[in-house]
Amino acid sequence: MTDVVMEAVNIAKVLGSGPAQVRALKGVNLTLRGGELTLLMGPSGSGKTTLLSILGCMLTPTEGTVHVRGACVSGKDSETLAKLRRDQIGFVFQSYHLFPTLTALDNVRLALDVRDDRNGNARMRAREALTKVGLAHKTASYPRQLSGGEQQRVAIARAIVGNPSVILADEPTAALDSENGQAIMTLLAESAKDAERGVLVVTHDPRLLPYADRIIHIEDGNIVREQSRDGTQKLREILERA
Amino acid sequence: MPLVFTLAFRNLIHDRLRLVATVIGIVFSIVLVMVQMGLYLGFGRMVTTMIDHASADLWIVSTGTKSFEDPSLLDTRQRGRALAVEGVADAIPVVIGFADWRMPSGSSTPVFVVGSDLRAGGLAPWNIVEGRLEALSTPNAVAVDRSYFGRLGISGLGARAEIRQQSVRVAAVTSGIRSFTTTPYVFMDLDRARAHTGVPSSKTTYLLVHVAQGADVDDVRARLTTMLSGVEVLTPDEFRDRSRAFWLFGTGAGAALFAGALLGAVVGTVIVAQTLYSSTKDHLNEFATLRAIGSSRRYIYKVIICQALLSAVIGFGLAALVGALVVHLTAASALPIVITPTLSVSLFLLTVLMCVISAVAAIMKVTRIDPAMVFTR
Repeated sequence: MTDVVMEAVNIAKVLGSGPAQVRALKGVNLTLRGGELTLLMGPSGSGKTTLLSILGCMLTPTEGTVHVRGACVSGKDSETLAKLRRDQIGFVFQSYHLFPTLTALDNVRLALDVRDDRNGNARMRAREALTKVGLAHKTASYPRQLSGGEQQRVAIARAIVGNPSVILADEPTAALDSENGQAIMTLLAESAKDAERGVLVVTHDPRLLPYADRIIHIEDGNIVREQSRDGTQKLREILERA
Repeated sequence: MPLVFTLAFRNLIHDRLRLVATVIGIVFSIVLVMVQMGLYLGFGRMVTTMIDHASADLWIVSTGTKSFEDPSLLDTRQRGRALAVEGVADAIPVVIGFADWRMPSGSSTPVFVVGSDLRAGGLAPWNIVEGRLEALSTPNAVAVDRSYFGRLGISGLGARAEIRQQSVRVAAVTSGIRSFTTTPYVFMDLDRARAHTGVPSSKTTYLLVHVAQGADVDDVRARLTTMLSGVEVLTPDEFRDRSRAFWLFGTGAGAALFAGALLGAVVGTVIVAQTLYSSTKDHLNEFATLRAIGSSRRYIYKVIICQALLSAVIGFGLAALVGALVVHLTAASALPIVITPTLSVSLFLLTVLMCVISAVAAIMKVTRIDPAMVFTR
C-alpha cells in the first residue's frame, strides 16, 4: 500500500450568495496516493474545477478539510498556502499558462525560482526536466515557437521540476490532438510511477482511461463512483451511460 | 541574470509602445524637475556671486540688510571702531549702487556699481580677460564684463562712456560676471564709486573684515557685535543664506521653481503609474500563474518593482543626456542652469522613488489576484 499524499475530507463549497447561491460541492471525500494516476471525470458544472481549486489550495472550502502529506491546510493564510503549493504541488493547466516572454528553460526554472532555489544546479535541473519530457533540444525556444503538445510538455516539466508530492492536471489534453494527448498522458503516467507522488487528472476524454490507476466520477458536486484499474471496463460503461 | 530581472525586462520590452510612453513620461518629468532645480541652483549661485568672490572673513552690514544688492548704508565711523576691536586686521569699505550709464551714442542703461579699495583686497573683479586689475587705480578706469558690451554700447577695452555725467574708461574686461538682474556690474575704485552713486564719504554700504592671523573668527565676531551698534556682523555663509532667502523666497521665485519641480514629479509619477498599471493588467494572467505555482506575493512585487526600476534607469539615462545638453546650451546665458553632482544623484533617487511609488497601484491590483483564475482562462 502506498502513502496517502493528499486527502480531502467532506469538502463542501458554496459559491455566490443570495438567490444566485450554488452548492458546487456537497461533501466530497477523495484520497490521492503516491504512485497512482487518478482521473477525475464528470460533466461540465459537476464541480471538477472547484474541487481542483480546493485541492490546489487556491480556494477555501466552505466545509471540510484538505490534508497534504498529513498536514491539514485549513485556516492557513494565503502565503502559507502559496508555500505549500510551491513545495508540494505541481500544476498542469489546460491552456498551458507558459510565460510568452521566457524561453522553455526559463519557464521551467521559474518553478524553482519562486522557491528561492537559485543555486548553480537550478538551471541543470530545469534542463533535466525538459530532457525528461523530450524537449532537450528546445530549451531556448519561446512558447510561440513550440507546438501545443510541446508547450504542454514544458508545462509538465515545470510541474515536475520541483519534485512535488502531487501533480494536479486540469484537462491537460483538451487542446491537443490524439497523438500529442497520448504523449502527454504517457508523461503524466510516468510521473505517477514515483511512489512518493500522486497525479490527479481532470478530464472529459475517455481515451485517457487506460492510463488511470483509479477513476473518480463526479456529478452535481458529489462523487458518484470510484473505480480502481481492475474496474476500468465497468467504468467505460458508466461513462457511456452518462 | 536573476529570473525576476529577466521577467521584468521582458515584460517591459514585450510592449515597446508602452515602454516608449513610460520612458517619455519619465524623461519629460525629470527634465522638467532638472531644469527647475538647475535654475534654482543657478539663480542661487548668481545672487551670491559677489559674496563668494569677496575676500572677507566677516561682513559688517546695516541692520536688516536683506541681500548684497540692498542699498542700506553704514556710517564710516564704524570702520574706525571695528579696527579698534582685537583680532581685526582690516575693515575694507565697499560701496554699491545703481547708476545710469550713458553710451557714446547718447542712449543710456542702468548699471550696478561695485566699488572698493582695490589695493586693500576688497571686492575686486575676477576672471579678467583683457587689461589688468591694477589699471583700475588710474583715473576714470572701470571694469565691465564682455557679455554686456552690447548693452553698454561699447566695443571693448579702452571704450569710453559716462556715469552721472562723469567720464569712465574701460580699463579691464572680465568674463562670466553676470548679474541675475540683467543689470551689468561695473567695478571701480571706492572713491569713484562714491562719486558715481552719490554715496557720501561719511557712508559706506559694507565693511569687509579681515581677521588677524591666528585670531578666532567667532571670537572676533562676538567682540564686533558687542562693540558696534546699528549693524550686523555676518559670516559669508550667513550673508549668502540671507541673500538666497531674500531673492529666492522673498520674491517668490524659488517657490515658483519648486512648484514647477513638484508638478514635474507628480506628472511623471502619474504617467508611470498609469503605464505600469496597464502593463500589470495585461500580464495579470501570468501573475496569477506565478501565484498558482506557489510564488509569494513578495516575488511578484519584486517583478513589478524591478519593472519600475528598469523604467527609472532607462528614463533617467535619457533625461541626463537631455539635461547635459540644456546645461551646455544655457552656460553662457543670463541665467545658466546649474546641475551639480548632488543634484544629479538626487534626481536619480527622485526618479527611482517616483517609479517605485508608481508601482503601488499595480501592486494593489496584483494583491487582489485570485490564483484560481488559471483554471478558467
